[in-house]
Amino acid sequence: MDIAALLLTLRLATVTMLVLVLLALPLAYWLAHTRWRGKIFIEAFVALPIVLPPTVIGFYLLVMLGPQTAFGRVVTHLLGHPLAFSFSGLVVGSVIYSLPFAVQPMVAGFAAIDPALLEAAAVLGSGRWDTLRRVVLPLSRGSILAAAVLTFAHTVGEFGVVLMIGGNLPGVTRTLSIALYDQVQDFSYAQANRTAWLLLVVSFAALTLLYTQRRTRRLV
Amino acid sequence: MSDSQSSLPAANPWLTLQIDHAFAPFRLQVQLALHAPWTVLFGPSGSGKTTILRALAGLFSPDVGSLQLQGETIFARAANKPCAINLSPQARRIGLVTQTPALFPHYTAAENIAFALRGFSSAERNKKIQALLQIFGAESLRDRLPHQLSGGQQQRIALARTLAAAPRLLLLDEPFSAMDRAARLEILNNLRQWVQQRAVPVLMVTHDLAEAFTASEEVVVLEDGRAVAQGRAEIVLRKARAQLLQELGVTPNAAHSPER
Repeated sequence: MDIAALLLTLRLATVTMLVLVLLALPLAYWLAHTRWRGKIFIEAFVALPIVLPPTVIGFYLLVMLGPQTAFGRVVTHLLGHPLAFSFSGLVVGSVIYSLPFAVQPMVAGFAAIDPALLEAAAVLGSGRWDTLRRVVLPLSRGSILAAAVLTFAHTVGEFGVVLMIGGNLPGVTRTLSIALYDQVQDFSYAQANRTAWLLLVVSFAALTLLYTQRRTRRLV
Repeated sequence: MSDSQSSLPAANPWLTLQIDHAFAPFRLQVQLALHAPWTVLFGPSGSGKTTILRALAGLFSPDVGSLQLQGETIFARAANKPCAINLSPQARRIGLVTQTPALFPHYTAAENIAFALRGFSSAERNKKIQALLQIFGAESLRDRLPHQLSGGQQQRIALARTLAAAPRLLLLDEPFSAMDRAARLEILNNLRQWVQQRAVPVLMVTHDLAEAFTASEEVVVLEDGRAVAQGRAEIVLRKARAQLLQELGVTPNAAHSPER
């Protein structure tokens, strides 16, 4: 079994999940409450990774982060190495690729909070941050957990973006899904079978956790 | 103002209010000065009662208006201009109990009341919660979640939660609608004591005639977004009362005779 690939996959999924939850919280809160008409463009942009082939996202990232663009050169200069073909590059790609899976459940969760509760909190003297902490976050806990599990599972299952911007460097960018592809190319079906099984188990466990949590929430 | 009464104290009003707002096709156009410590806003649904309370609480900004509470301007806006003054709901320190009690569903009754009790030791907080629960006959509901409470019980907790914030004005929007008459009277009495001790004025919305009679020192009658009368209940609600008695089949004479 390819332990290095498994560990890398879990590390990538965990880091992506943490970055995305922190990034998506303010974005989703803003999307749920803004009355600005232009928000439809932001919503469409956030949803793009659902419909675009991952290779398209990977391609643009590869070009943007490479030495051909000023942006890529600045990033390379700051990091001391190009973002492409590195673990940080994979994180950037995964964050963009899984963005809708974090943002959409959170928007739904925030929008489901009765505005009367937010008004009640304000009239009782609770400021914006205080209301966020004591009313909004506790009431949307389930949606935030759903976003976390979905981004984790989606990152575990990612292939195209990783292949485009990460290549296939063992221990650095070679995730389980890439390893599986390699193994099949090499006709190592027994190995491929174990890798596929591992991916199946990780994804199934994540989704089971998600549905268990949904069920307990409904029973309350 | 057709029925203004001279029996009111001549001191400065605790509230002066002027609101002009167009909700096509309806227009709310009200000007009021309130002196009586407990005033009822009486009128049919859609007459603008709730909107007035929301504007006072800072949850709604009218097109044009000015609101002064105890001499302090909390809202001022001239026609076609941005608000010159618009204090946030937090800064206004006005309590609002809405018609549907918006209790926080993830907190128990006691935690809902504690929401506004900050900066107290836990012993003090518990004492205050206990006292507030007692006012509303809700001691036994302390540890229940809102979804385990009936509509009337939720209203009791919402009232207690609002008093916990120590408001300088109390706005009540049909806060007893889900309670039976006996409970309503008891709570009204206790609430009256609480606000009298602290000199907190009350503006209460109702379309219940009996409530308007029992609760208030003064009634403002709203119709189609305008204040059409202001004065003592017996006077400004005379017509509505006679109408109700007639609907109940009681002639004015029979209603006054003690044998019946």
